[in-house]
Amino acid sequence: MPIFNSPFFEIDKKETKRYAGLRNSDFNEEIVDEACELARLIINPTGIWDIYDYNDNTQQINTSPPFILQGESIKKHLTGCEKVILLSSTVGTEIENKITDLFKEGKYSLSLMLDAAATTAVEQSADLMEKAINEQVSRKGYNMKWRFSPGYGDWPIEQQPEMLKAAQGEKIGITLTESLMLEPRKSITAIIGLYKKEENCPEGKPKHNCEQCNKTDCIARQNTCK
Amino acid sequence: MIHIFDGAMGTILQEKGLLAPGYCPELLNIDKPEEITAVHQQYVEAGSTIIETNTFGASPLKLSHYNLSDRAREINIAAVKAAKAAAGNTVKVAGSMGPTGRFIKPLGDLDFEDAFENYKIQAAALAEGGADYILIETSIDLQEMRAALLAAKEVTSLPVICQLSFSEDGRTVTGTSPQVEAITLDAMGADIIGVNCSLGPEQLVPVVKALAENTNKPISVQPNAGMPQLVNGKTTFPMTPEDFGNWAPKLIQAGATYIGGCCGTTPGHISAIKNALKDVEEPKFKPLQRRLMLTSRSKTVTVDKELPTVLIGERINPTGRKKLAAEIKDGSFLSVKKEAMDQVKAGANLLDVNMGVGGIDQVKAMKKAITEISQLTDAPLVIDTSDAAVLEAGLRAYPGRALINSVSAEKERLKSFIPLAKKYGAAILCLPLTDDGIPKTPAGRLEVMDIIVSTAKEAGLQDGDFLLDGLVMTVAADQNACNQTLETLHLYREKYGYPATMGLSNISFGLPNRPLINSTFFAMCLAAGLDAPIMNPYDESMQNALMASMALLGKDPNGRDFSKNEANLNIPKGPAVAKHVELSPLEAVKQAVIEGDADSMPELIEKALATGIDPNELTEKCLTAAMNDIGVDFGAGRVFLPQVLLSAEAMRSAFTILKEKYATTSSGDKGTVILATVKGDVHDLGKNIVGALLENSGFNLIDLGKDVPAEEIVASAIKNDADIVGLCALMTTTMTEIDEVIRQLKDSGNTSKVIVGGAALTQDYADEAGADYYAQDAVIALNIANEIVGK
Repeated sequence: MPIFNSPFFEIDKKETKRYAGLRNSDFNEEIVDEACELARLIINPTGIWDIYDYNDNTQQINTSPPFILQGESIKKHLTGCEKVILLSSTVGTEIENKITDLFKEGKYSLSLMLDAAATTAVEQSADLMEKAINEQVSRKGYNMKWRFSPGYGDWPIEQQPEMLKAAQGEKIGITLTESLMLEPRKSITAIIGLYKKEENCPEGKPKHNCEQCNKTDCIARQNTCK
Repeated sequence: MIHIFDGAMGTILQEKGLLAPGYCPELLNIDKPEEITAVHQQYVEAGSTIIETNTFGASPLKLSHYNLSDRAREINIAAVKAAKAAAGNTVKVAGSMGPTGRFIKPLGDLDFEDAFENYKIQAAALAEGGADYILIETSIDLQEMRAALLAAKEVTSLPVICQLSFSEDGRTVTGTSPQVEAITLDAMGADIIGVNCSLGPEQLVPVVKALAENTNKPISVQPNAGMPQLVNGKTTFPMTPEDFGNWAPKLIQAGATYIGGCCGTTPGHISAIKNALKDVEEPKFKPLQRRLMLTSRSKTVTVDKELPTVLIGERINPTGRKKLAAEIKDGSFLSVKKEAMDQVKAGANLLDVNMGVGGIDQVKAMKKAITEISQLTDAPLVIDTSDAAVLEAGLRAYPGRALINSVSAEKERLKSFIPLAKKYGAAILCLPLTDDGIPKTPAGRLEVMDIIVSTAKEAGLQDGDFLLDGLVMTVAADQNACNQTLETLHLYREKYGYPATMGLSNISFGLPNRPLINSTFFAMCLAAGLDAPIMNPYDESMQNALMASMALLGKDPNGRDFSKNEANLNIPKGPAVAKHVELSPLEAVKQAVIEGDADSMPELIEKALATGIDPNELTEKCLTAAMNDIGVDFGAGRVFLPQVLLSAEAMRSAFTILKEKYATTSSGDKGTVILATVKGDVHDLGKNIVGALLENSGFNLIDLGKDVPAEEIVASAIKNDADIVGLCALMTTTMTEIDEVIRQLKDSGNTSKVIVGGAALTQDYADEAGADYYAQDAVIALNIANEIVGK
């Protein structure tokens, strides 16, 4: 139910450079700056989330209708969690069109960098939403796991339609193509497990990183960065 | 006097088994008022001097979860009655109002006016029931707090206690610091300002201190009994009454005079506070000197004669700017947003916002501009209008303490603007102007200022709410204009000590070399007591005058910032520029491609051609060779994708020039490539990158775009007699379409070579699908393409 669009006054340049595949190398900072500032002007960050009961044996989320998660990785990830947050977040279509237009104009590197800035923005927006959620759930004694999305590990992307519905993405303008892609492209659906502090939740420490992903040759993969 | 609140209510009700699942806790006020009174009674006996009604979730919006919205009045009145039954004559009753659970636009989907109406209903009912205070608590959003406070002030005359809730980083989730809370709510007329919930007493000591350092109003604090933990499925708070009580003297020492407990606290905790404070005297604090402080949701800016100059950016103003005016008229705020960002980047500390476009709904425009800008920057805003309705719309929408530009001594202005400043807690920029015009002499201006300041003070404004305008006239028309302004600044400083402001450029009207006059005048004014110039922050000569003046006036100790800045000016920007000079013309072009220096390309190409180098030689020996080098470096992990693309841009620039000069030097004689993202897939950045490299390496590129059906790809390959077909798919759900395209291509008898790529693809998959090649990245794709046509 709650919609939360966090204001943020900066797009993380380091992350933008990582998503653009720059690793730690030097690059024309003017282009990075230009992309991050342009992104701030034309993103429309918005997000929606809610909290549901979860049964970690049956992998069932108590949405209406109930949503049963598939796959071993998400099962393992949510072991010990009794509630979950389902969230959707997007930065809108305007920036997407700009990325395309810039490429057409021959501004290849700015286009690539803007694409990376948009990715950074949607992640940052979701991070800030998590912070707001944490404020509420920690009051009830819960800890949060890190965000997990369809396609991570062996959680089949085929569950995206159910996921998008459960996470109310349509309410903030996210739709799904026939081939299960989120539109606008810079959108997220994700699940966050909530677990009790004193219980032994495996991999309890929140750490959002690239290790879950099978694409080991990704240009933005974190643990290959120095 | 130290006041003691009560502790938690909900947990006790739960322990008594009064809260069945799905039952609204506030309904107990009606269903079992005696049980509520009994809990209040426990706290009264423990020593509470103020008890809080069981109405935390009793606003209509909250009650809607139980379909009880229409019973809000009844429930709140009953709650006050239940509390008063325990309070007797000595203990006071505070009517509690909690958050709506939703965020106000643009942070969320709740309209400010709906939140305002919601709290109006609740506050009125609490007052009707006979509450002694309104207590707005646990809010994590300053804007929600503003709506509730305005509502409480509108429908009651009770003292209002405002308590925000902070995260461990010392800010609310939406970025508000205790300082911003204290300044903003104090100005809006909150009677007691404080903090509750979220954190334990230890974490709240610095929060209380920060609140006390920024307001003279009493401070309240109601911590949780430590940080929550779940034990056996139940949320519990670990801190014992004794530990909790031990923190009470420290909270009092930090500045609180109202103290109680929130989640996890019990009558035991309250009585522990009472015992711990038995011999504690209320510390005496020196009243704060009120200074002009403005806030945004997350930032404070102080304007004061002792502090560095505050720059007010004047650019968000459509007057005389046709393009900006036209945009605002069309409802586009892109340029407004860009000006906001750019001015802050250029050093503006406050942003003036003027929506003075004829023929539009300025109320709507101001609301939108204020909303959009405060989502984009944290600089406090100055609302610039002569229309009271526009002003109120801006003030209402603004999540902070704004400055009003401006209040003159014109009768209508005084009457309509000052009450708005008071109501919304805004500061005022005072303009020495009357219905009869501008006083000629400095003494005359001071007299007008006296009228404005005294009228404002009668309405409840105080020191710290004023910024005085020196008023600048044109020196070409009046030789004393500058002297008069300087003298006015002196008089203001002498009489009031309030900070001063002014727009400067009027001084030079009609004179040549206006920048010189403006910056010289600026320096003089800074020395005479100008604290917050309204100016164009992009103006370099003004920025330089400001920087030098700060060093000269001792506001930049030992000229440190000045030295740093001047030193920076001497460092050449960008990559070494002179490099190309030592290279041969061919090498220079190649080097420029490698460095991705598209800007130098026209000159370098001209130079190379002037030495008689054949364009084909140039293409092969420089451009293609450079791209090869880059490819090798990319493969080896020495350069990365953005750098490759910069080189491609340089190549593009080179080819564009060559094409213009030699129509025959087409960049498409290497071979024809059809490129497409397959049906069902909408990702095309990767495909575009491949296209850019191919096109700028001499291939004839036919890019069919994204989401392209197999039939179209095959038809295009046949029609164009393609050498290569490049297919891209990003996801596992779309890559199967690649198989289909290849099948149809083969069936058609077409012999183009097929290269496939995309995030989810692998060599194995490509082999199985029958592709000729798999390209892991764009550079490999280019290498493969070169290999194919080279055969």
